[in-house]
Amino acid sequence: MSKFSGRTISKGKARGIVLKIDTAFSFLGGVDTSTGSLKVGDNENICNKIFVFPQGKGSTVGSFTMYDLKANNKHPAAVINKAAETIVATGAVISSIPMIDSVDIDILRTGDDVTVDGNDGTMELHNVKIITSVSSALLSDKGILMLERPDDASSFPGVWSLVAGKIEENESAADAAKREIYEETGLSVHDPLISLDPIFVRENDVIWKVYPFLFRCGSTDVKLNGENKNYKWVVPENIEQMCTVTSTLSAVRKMLSELAGK
Amino acid sequence: MYLTKDEERILGGAEGESAQKAMELVVALGKIYNAENLVKITSAHISGASYKTIGDGGLRYLEDVSKDAKVKVNSTLNPLGMDRDRWKEMRITENFASKQLKIIELYGKMGVRTSCSCTPYLNDNIPSFGEHVAWAESSALSFVNSYIGARTNREGGPGALAAAIVGRTANYGLHLKENRAPAVVIESDIDDSLFSSSLLGQAVGMTIGSKIPYYRNIRPGVEEMKSMAAAMASSGSVAMFHVENVTPEASAYDISGLERIHIGKKELDDALSSVNTTDDIQLIAFGCPHLTVKEIREMASFLKGRKKRRNDVDIWFCTSSEVRKKCPDEVRILETFGPVLADTCMVVAPIESNYQRTGTNSAKAGNYLPTLCSQKVMCRDFVKLMELVL
Repeated sequence: MSKFSGRTISKGKARGIVLKIDTAFSFLGGVDTSTGSLKVGDNENICNKIFVFPQGKGSTVGSFTMYDLKANNKHPAAVINKAAETIVATGAVISSIPMIDSVDIDILRTGDDVTVDGNDGTMELHNVKIITSVSSALLSDKGILMLERPDDASSFPGVWSLVAGKIEENESAADAAKREIYEETGLSVHDPLISLDPIFVRENDVIWKVYPFLFRCGSTDVKLNGENKNYKWVVPENIEQMCTVTSTLSAVRKMLSELAGK
Repeated sequence: MYLTKDEERILGGAEGESAQKAMELVVALGKIYNAENLVKITSAHISGASYKTIGDGGLRYLEDVSKDAKVKVNSTLNPLGMDRDRWKEMRITENFASKQLKIIELYGKMGVRTSCSCTPYLNDNIPSFGEHVAWAESSALSFVNSYIGARTNREGGPGALAAAIVGRTANYGLHLKENRAPAVVIESDIDDSLFSSSLLGQAVGMTIGSKIPYYRNIRPGVEEMKSMAAAMASSGSVAMFHVENVTPEASAYDISGLERIHIGKKELDDALSSVNTTDDIQLIAFGCPHLTVKEIREMASFLKGRKKRRNDVDIWFCTSSEVRKKCPDEVRILETFGPVLADTCMVVAPIESNYQRTGTNSAKAGNYLPTLCSQKVMCRDFVKLMELVL
């Protein structure tokens, strides 16, 4: 189920279509209270929407702007923030608008069909499915192995990735990682040196729940199986210049720094 | 967050819908700041009294919440958008006045004292050392933290009202002793005048942002403390400061390892130019924060026997009705220059309808007049401003 846990800020439950903006938002001066139209961006309307933005800002009167929207029946159905602050939290509570925070808003897109449950602090995406997968960084004397995906790949076509693939039923994430490495590169590896908590990557109507791993490999003799069109051993700094699957660089950096700390 | 049985009961609606909402708000704000529990408060001071600042949304909110809510602790209210009796002199519209009077009535219905000053600590809301309180109004809350040693965070208007209704606020920040320690030492060699104190606060707020400063070598009285508090809270977001031999808790901290910042003449000049934007004014307004009895006496003694020569400049003296009542003779002298207005000020009154350029001796007003009132500002001390019209 595509349900994510955050934190209750204001109680109540609502389902609606997401309207997302990517910058901090001030209700005072940011919205017309008689219509619900935003005065920023493309003047979209927040009435009945699941209004998603990173954080509130601006005048504390913004809490009363939200109350005004509610009185005029032009309020958003619910609010999702990355990190709530006083103004919007106050406005949501006094206006009885459901609100949650501490969720990864990067996985939400304008147009998504979402239920916000302010009672248990969760959100559920109805129009996406979650696929669990692994993504493994192979570390050798030559650097990190990057694979180039074919232009007709069903997911992330034409970009560079780590050694990645879906987890099969009744398979552990670490086993899936080893299997994918053997299938796609012909290399055998021992147990992973590092594993991270899953990260979530949005691609169209799919959210990839990705378990990242770091393996050491002795051999660098890669034999591609046809799932990828090219490979390269690179130093981590060079990943920055490559067109990669979202979050690849940050995951690699995090795993390398955990390895260095061991 | 841990809630007591009593708090859970209010959250469950046992004391009515408005109290339930108020508890939800106090808890939500506590969560944002990772509070572990709530703390009982002895008083509240609520901002959001002027119709100009809260608008129709605020008025609607007060209409709804006042249906069944009552405050549990001594609660006072910030200044209004007008003098209750002399609003016509201030050229306030009928519509504004009727909505403003409605707001006062609604707060009053909930049991909030409607004395309406930003210096309630001089009149009818005087916390004691160590008491937990929930105060909005950045200058007043900084004053009670720093001069009295009461404990409050920077509450917003609705948050302070909610705290007053449930008699509690979230226990985090300046409610906890470990968060009240100074972070930086201010060494200054300025004179102790009121105007210099305001500029000192301005310079420090601009430099340190939200840190807690520790002042040495200054001897501020109540008036200087309120001006420094106001300036620091508006040029930065300082909610508490220590002054050696003044702040009750100042001696409790070891300051030997702290960063030291020197504020001298150059820094005061920079602070002054940060708020000065005009050489020509239509209104001179004093009383940000509200004038004390001492200030009114000093002004009257300077103005006694003098005459206002310019008719193209209006003068306002802003204070609380309490203070205005206490010095009738001095008020009579000031009134020959301009109205002594009670329970309002130039920042929360809609002065932008009638003026574009205002003179002030307050760095705080200098910070807010451009944004809240669309004014250009001349910032000078009392005598220099008055010399323009004498």
